[in-house]
Amino acid sequence: MSIEFKDVRKAFSEKAVLDGVSFTVKSREILFILGKSGVGKSVTLKHVVGLLKPDAGEVHVDGVRVSSSDETVLAAVRRVCGMVFQHPALLDSLTVFENVAFGLRGTDIGPARIHERVIECLRLVHLDASILERKPIEISYGMQKRVSIARTLAPSPRYLLFDEPTTGLDPITTNAVNDLIHELSRSLGVTSVVVSHDMGSALRIADRILVLDEGTILALGDRREIRESHVPLIREFLSEVD
Amino acid sequence: MRFLVTFLHELGGLWLFFRDIARLSARNQKALRPLVMEQISQVAYRSMGTILFSGFFVGAILVIQFYLMLSKYDATSLLGGLSASATIREIGPLIISFLLAGKIGAYTAAEIGTMKVTEQIDAIRCLGTNPMEYLVVPRFLAIVVSSALLLFFGLLVGILGSVLVADSLYSVNALQFLESIPRFAGLWTLFGGLFKSLVYGTIVAAVSTFKGYTASGGAKGVGIAVTQCAVYTNLLITLANSFTSMMLDGFQGALSFFTGGHG
Amino acid sequence: MGALAIRRRAHMLASELSDVMEIIVKTLRACVRGPRRRAEIVEHMTHMGVESLPIIVIATAFAGLVVTSEIAFHMDMALHTVEMIPGFSGQFIFRELGIAIPALLLVAKVGASTTAEVSTMKITEQIDALKLLGIDPVEFLVYPRFVSSILMVSCLTLISIFVTLACAIAFAVINHGFSTMEYLNSLTPFLSTKDLVCALVKGAVFGAVMPIVSCFYGFRCAGGAEGVGLATTQSVVTSTVLVIVLDFLLTYAFSLIL
Repeated sequence: MSIEFKDVRKAFSEKAVLDGVSFTVKSREILFILGKSGVGKSVTLKHVVGLLKPDAGEVHVDGVRVSSSDETVLAAVRRVCGMVFQHPALLDSLTVFENVAFGLRGTDIGPARIHERVIECLRLVHLDASILERKPIEISYGMQKRVSIARTLAPSPRYLLFDEPTTGLDPITTNAVNDLIHELSRSLGVTSVVVSHDMGSALRIADRILVLDEGTILALGDRREIRESHVPLIREFLSEVD
Repeated sequence: MRFLVTFLHELGGLWLFFRDIARLSARNQKALRPLVMEQISQVAYRSMGTILFSGFFVGAILVIQFYLMLSKYDATSLLGGLSASATIREIGPLIISFLLAGKIGAYTAAEIGTMKVTEQIDAIRCLGTNPMEYLVVPRFLAIVVSSALLLFFGLLVGILGSVLVADSLYSVNALQFLESIPRFAGLWTLFGGLFKSLVYGTIVAAVSTFKGYTASGGAKGVGIAVTQCAVYTNLLITLANSFTSMMLDGFQGALSFFTGGHG
Repeated sequence: MGALAIRRRAHMLASELSDVMEIIVKTLRACVRGPRRRAEIVEHMTHMGVESLPIIVIATAFAGLVVTSEIAFHMDMALHTVEMIPGFSGQFIFRELGIAIPALLLVAKVGASTTAEVSTMKITEQIDALKLLGIDPVEFLVYPRFVSSILMVSCLTLISIFVTLACAIAFAVINHGFSTMEYLNSLTPFLSTKDLVCALVKGAVFGAVMPIVSCFYGFRCAGGAEGVGLATTQSVVTSTVLVIVLDFLLTYAFSLIL
């Protein structure tokens, strides 16, 4: 039961963004995908949930070949993969409650249980029920970010995918978000994949770190291995942290 | 030439998109109904004021133009009929739909485009809902219906505007004005106007949702989507105007041939 | 609506009006100071002309065909004669159709894209950067667009009148057996140079309104993609309504002197 990339290639208008990428995400780990801006980190993530299809190669989620599935199969995959977007991407015409409950639409869960589940998820991201009826625009950006994580948690996914969760945040909020990711992954027993360009965050909470450059994997290892790496790009990333 | 190629390319994309919408709206109608009704009330509420305001002036402009021409022939007794018929059949639907293209079309393109570039549409998809079904189809149906509705009221107010202008500026008595209308405009004219409204509504709905749904590239992308939506809608409406007019005239000709009278 | 809300609305309206006035005054002042940045103005004009010409030609050609067919249809129905087709269609094209249709198309084409451009500049702080460099954004962005738009919209109005009329004549010739000379001969008694001047004035006024409105909405745009979309929409709607209302006022004013 895991996410598996097999020699995935993807190009946008002739420019190869992923050039033969293969790796496996282990169960219940926190995997960081690290790299400079525009090296295909977010593209990798979007392949997992079928928002993008590879030009060649295969992507498997729990044994299902996402890379060649139609929308019905993808809908099932998307139920087990929770995606947290870089910007909160809350539906701005809906209230916080309706946003968090959105993933429970069309399931056979009753309204009372949905309400309970929404409160539960908000509590997991350290928010209380007082903001339920507010619109996204009426709460702070940090709160929106938390609500968007709660929305992803609501359908109880097995995998959490974070697209640049700390980009553009101040150091204090960054730490809070990192701790939240760590805490959620451990307490819910889910597998997390985090796309980021922040080595500091990776060294703080990652189990393994994958460094992507020029469409290929530069390194894949645990925190210690990465810290001791001699690859120039990784040294450069590390020097930013100290 | 380059313009024509892009335009045809867009038209192809628009057609595929429209087919998707048609397929999805035939399915699952029960679930759609509340979403559509909510959208209709929103669209109509947002645009009614603007449409009525401008409809009034459209009627007023036409009556002035027709008065100028008819007075040279000493035929001002025909003023009501001619200007009402022109308002309902031709210029009214055309100009009011230009307004709908901005008020409803551009608005929808901006709304859906914003959701697209801020990844809200991806988020919907990731949460297991089909965004076409949830966002696009209800808006599409609502725009078709409410465009027709708005256009109908716009045209009524347009006639009101022409009566008022004729009566106050040109001392063409309101009664005399109204009396001459049935000579030119009958049920068939009204039907023609409504038919056109539905066609234009479909154009506004399809282009705006399509341009919004395919927007990309941040704030700039939204701006481009809205602009293109406005341009393509207006252009398609002028083209459709010609075809629907000729079609309706053809029908009416055939009709009066069989019944031996005016429709 | 409470008294407070009304006061807030009034306050907002007043500040919007003063913003518009500021743009108009600054633009006019720049115009009065004499023709400068000619190259830029010419560039804007070429851009505008090249970009909009295909759309305008296609749209007005179809409009010409259909209006003539409509007028013929009515004449036939009411008066059982087609003799008045040239007079009616020609006058209508010269005074209304050939002017309003291109103006409304240009509102969408040029007005919307100007707002999209300026509002993107606003939210990416390029406008602020201009101010810091000591450049007045109104003078820098609005003035060249204003001048080129007045000139270009007048030109396009002439072109579209010509195209519409050509199509109207073609229709009358093919469907109702007029010859081109007959058509023109029966039209000329109804038209004078005044009509041409009025058409140009209308075109120039519409041309002047567009850049002012679209830059106004661009300048006050705030808040990311949503803001740009909203600004562009409002700009299209406001310009369209303004064109319709001004068209009415000018039509009435001209009807007094024609």
